[in-house]
Amino acid sequence: MGNSEKLRADQLQIIRSGKEVLSGISFCVDSGEVYALLGGNGAGKSTTLLSFLGFLPPSGGSIYIKGVEVRSNIKAARRAIAYLPESASLYEHLDAYENLRYFLQLAEMPFDKHRIEATLDRVLLASDSRTQRLQNYSKGMRQKVAIALAILRDTEILLLDEPTSGLDPSAIDEFHNLVRDLADSGKTVLMVTHDVYGACQVADRLGLLRAGKLVGEFTAPAGQRIETEAVHRAFSSRHAK
Amino acid sequence: MNIASALIREARFVSYDRVFLGWLLVVFLFAAAAIGSGLAETQHQNETIQHLVEADQRDRASEYSKQGDWGSAAYYSFHFTYDPPSDFAYAAMGQRDAVPWKHRLRMLALEGQIYEHDAGNPELALIGRFDFAFFVSFVVPLVLIFLLHDTQASERVAGRFDLLVATTGTDGFLWWTRVFLRSGGIIVATILPLIFAGSLNDTSFSTLISAIGYVIVYLVFWTIVCIWFSSWRRSAPVILSALIGVWVLLGTIVPAGGRVFIDRIVPVPSGSEILLTQREAVNDAWDLPVETTMTAFFERHAEWKGYTKTGDGFDWAWFYAFQQVGDQETERLSVAYSKGRRERDRLAGLLSLASPPALLERSLQRLAQTDSAASLVYETEVRQFHLALRKFYYPRLFREEPFNVETFTKLPQFSPAS
Ligand SMILES: Nc1ncnc2c1ncn2[C@@H]1O[C@H](COP(=O)(O)OP(=O)(O)OP(=O)(O)O)[C@@H](O)[C@H]1O
Ligand SMILES: [Mg+2]
Repeated sequence: MGNSEKLRADQLQIIRSGKEVLSGISFCVDSGEVYALLGGNGAGKSTTLLSFLGFLPPSGGSIYIKGVEVRSNIKAARRAIAYLPESASLYEHLDAYENLRYFLQLAEMPFDKHRIEATLDRVLLASDSRTQRLQNYSKGMRQKVAIALAILRDTEILLLDEPTSGLDPSAIDEFHNLVRDLADSGKTVLMVTHDVYGACQVADRLGLLRAGKLVGEFTAPAGQRIETEAVHRAFSSRHAK
Repeated sequence: MNIASALIREARFVSYDRVFLGWLLVVFLFAAAAIGSGLAETQHQNETIQHLVEADQRDRASEYSKQGDWGSAAYYSFHFTYDPPSDFAYAAMGQRDAVPWKHRLRMLALEGQIYEHDAGNPELALIGRFDFAFFVSFVVPLVLIFLLHDTQASERVAGRFDLLVATTGTDGFLWWTRVFLRSGGIIVATILPLIFAGSLNDTSFSTLISAIGYVIVYLVFWTIVCIWFSSWRRSAPVILSALIGVWVLLGTIVPAGGRVFIDRIVPVPSGSEILLTQREAVNDAWDLPVETTMTAFFERHAEWKGYTKTGDGFDWAWFYAFQQVGDQETERLSVAYSKGRRERDRLAGLLSLASPPALLERSLQRLAQTDSAASLVYETEVRQFHLALRKFYYPRLFREEPFNVETFTKLPQFSPAS
């Protein structure tokens, strides 16, 4: 708790198209923390991120960003968040720079060429492809540009929906280092993933979501990582049920 | 949010959109072509008028020099009347395609001469001319619909919608800027040729400004309709179909259905009916007793009551009297015709309030003086001129004044009001 708490869901209930998708989940993420949300398809992970962005009004419970109820000031909430959508597709007819410029301007941020180059280096996007249109990119290359955008937004909070999907192993490793660095510099990261091993590597805490319910939470012991085996067991046993 | 920087951002974004730039060019070229064809047509009409005005005096003078009496001079001479195209007619040809804008009048019965060309240009009357008014009223909205309907749907399909909204922070503003930049581009591409043609042709400033104002208001109306539908959480084809449905309803079903309805509740005698009635009346007069004709004539012209036909041969005064009686006999039909047209026009005006495309077209035609009212004004001018001709000839025919070519300097001259 305290003023370091950036994200909080309190008995959050979401109904989409008449169906209860989240049934009263509660968790919170502090600044400098990486929280991984794990769960099978349709468990409600993306829905959780969307509700933090104010896209889905809760039917019960509440959601807070930096201690403020999201729906009471949606714009402020969104301004504090960099969001990486699940199927992140930027504009196909623009190159990496043009895409970044457009989305940064949308967030009313300056276009800083040096920062952009450094960030694209960090996500390992080959420099010769940066001036090519995204229609000539592979899935992983597109994902790298989208990740770069989320980082360039330089917000306090990052909501990442399956950020490593499509990335090759070395890019995944580098991404995990990146996320750790961000958290260590004080950012708050809530990421959704299917990758149990990766989640355990990077997360301070991990929530297991199943059919709209938070069925387990794991916290890394001080100075250590979360134990993969335990999460794996919990994940598969819950599924086997 | 800073509006200026948002506009710059979106303008830059739009400038990468080749499909949009292509449409911009197409709209500009079509607007220019529509105006170009209107200019060619008005120039042709002006040349025709100038040519006939020049020939008018000369032909009449040469005819008079061959004649030795008032009756044959009146019979063989023509008088050119015309309704010159206004300084904005090139943008909206309107009724000029349907009803005559020139008549070469003779002293004969008038009604037949007026309705002789009533059929106008049947094909044009059916489909309408591809003029600027038509282009803006019916075609440009389709382009807007096509360009704007998927403003939001396409972003949803591409999975960018949430990212865009989350990044700007607000819901509506981004879409309004995007849509208004695009529709603003289309509006500029539409009116640029108009401004160009207007300044080349010395179109009056107030007319041009009004026309531009109407076009902007009209296209903004469609833009708002498009925004409204495009924010619907449906797939692009569904939104497109709905918008096209609105276009069909407002642009064709309401005006066409309304016209059928108006034509049914306000019957108007046909021009050919008037023409036939008048021709029959004149033809029959040859075989009627002279007194029958003259009595009918004196009802209108008591001042010539003392006149009696001399001899049993042909008599010009009697001839022109039965021409006028021919007009008198069709008067009821002719009045009904004008009244009916006025009433239909009034109802069409009311109806156009329910059909923005029809309303814009009518408004532009009113500015261009090519609407029904303008054509009725010309018809009135023609009637007044013909009446003046009769006033010139009747005293000379009925008083049997000696023929004198010099007198023709006093002949009434037609000059159009506009
Ligand atoms: N747009 C929508 N309208 C209505 N219901 C939806 C919508 N999107 C998702 N749902 C429902 O909400 C539930 C949770 O979906 P969500 O996208 O949050 O799952 P997820 O955990 O992100 O799954 P995945 O791993 O496949 O991405 C699903 O059962 C789905 O049927
Ligand atoms: Mg998901």
